[in-house]
Amino acid sequence: MTFSMKRVMAIFQKDMKDLYKNMYVSSTILMPLIFAFFYGRMDDLTVEVHFVVINLTLAIVTAFLQCSIIAEEKEKNTLRGLMLSPATIPEILGGKSLVTFILTAITIILCTMLTGYEPTNIGIIAIAIVISSLFYIALGTLMGLISRTVIEASVLILPVMFIFGFGSMFVPFAEQYPILSVIDYLPNIQLVELAAAVEAGSGFGDVLGNLGIIVAWVIIGMIATVIVFKKRELDE
Amino acid sequence: MENIIEVKSLAKIFGNKAALEDVSFQVEKGETFGFLGPSGSGKTTTIKILTGQLLQTSGDATVFNLPVTSLNKPSYRKRIGVITDNSGLYQRLSIYDNLKLYCDLYDVPTKRIDEVLEMVNLTEDTKKVVSKLSKGMLQRVTLARAFLHEPELLFLDEPTSALDPVNSKHIHDGLRKLNEKGTTIFLTTHDMSEAESLCKRVAFLHKGKIQLLDEPKVLRRQFSDSSVTVELKDGRELNLPGGSKGANEIYKYLSTDQVVSIHSNEPTLGDIFVEVTGRELV
Repeated sequence: MTFSMKRVMAIFQKDMKDLYKNMYVSSTILMPLIFAFFYGRMDDLTVEVHFVVINLTLAIVTAFLQCSIIAEEKEKNTLRGLMLSPATIPEILGGKSLVTFILTAITIILCTMLTGYEPTNIGIIAIAIVISSLFYIALGTLMGLISRTVIEASVLILPVMFIFGFGSMFVPFAEQYPILSVIDYLPNIQLVELAAAVEAGSGFGDVLGNLGIIVAWVIIGMIATVIVFKKRELDE
Repeated sequence: MENIIEVKSLAKIFGNKAALEDVSFQVEKGETFGFLGPSGSGKTTTIKILTGQLLQTSGDATVFNLPVTSLNKPSYRKRIGVITDNSGLYQRLSIYDNLKLYCDLYDVPTKRIDEVLEMVNLTEDTKKVVSKLSKGMLQRVTLARAFLHEPELLFLDEPTSALDPVNSKHIHDGLRKLNEKGTTIFLTTHDMSEAESLCKRVAFLHKGKIQLLDEPKVLRRQFSDSSVTVELKDGRELNLPGGSKGANEIYKYLSTDQVVSIHSNEPTLGDIFVEVTGRELV
């Protein structure tokens, strides 16, 4: 399996130019920033509130943006052009994910500046957010590959945005309805738990369990994405 | 001569409808091979199978001596170019930016963009945004993209279907140049004049089956009735049979200086297609 950084960068640069001219998608970045601006005006924000904004960014910017980018490539038949080119799956998906990853990083940095979030251990939090963003990129890619059009993708991604963006709202119900206890294992909830633990003084070794669960989601997401991508290389 | 494509008893069934039945042919290296047939005859299905975009139901197909089922390797993709009905372009980007992406993907220097735009008569439109282009211009950009890396094997599905005669001629000249440089071309079309002018051999595809396969001139000779049309100075046009009877009559008109022109009545590929399949090539 070859891996050419030149091909990854070619796809990345193309996507940057394309996204710059795509107001429908690029304007979604504003939503978490607006949330962050209003939360930032409140006093004494808890770590959970900071992570409402961060999880919202991961759901709206990372997953939705990636989903829209992939769905549009499918709808306009340009994805097939990439598939028929010498670019490999890691090169195509790497190039297409880089734009989303960078925009996610910028949005999260801006959001934390607006809400005034200063983590006790920035290293652990940064690693956890980076790993989480890989999961949301894989999820967005998967949803984009499943969708036939950008409009269909916009609808399909809504429950995903709801579950992962506002999932923490359901945690109190988990005690009442045991079936909802699965929510505890969602990557967004794990991220909040990890951040709360770090804020309480936990070190890297203490949050390995949380990180492990998020990594497991990343692996599942990536495997599912590659399987669906390979299926999409063929017409039915 | 080495065969680049070999197809044996290829079949493709969608649901309970056969798109291809027992299709067999070979394409030699350096050849321009025409796959002719009306819409729905199975031309695009064949290209999709040969480029690894669709699995056949049965039969064998190899390209570069590799089974088509294992053609998803980047090293293979670098050797081919494909234009089908689902070859898309990035609408918000310029022609140049679209081609620049593929230069980088195929590791081709960007100066090649000017050369391919010359081939498709679009040198003045480099900076135009793709969403503003006409259907014909879109088709030419897609062709330019396929020409970029000078592939060893080029699959073209109806390459000039949306083009006017001037631009079709530009594309044909470009294809001839590529072919002269060694590119083997697999061309599907329902334009008989295009097939006659470009293809060394043609196959007639109808209802998923190959009905005829040979060189255009051989087919025309095979289906010719040897008659000739003689135009006389008094304005009459006579259809004369071949053989001694026709020859005697032609001699009579020639010896009395009455002949303006004599044309052999060879059928066109379109005529042959109608004769063989009973339907027009549209």
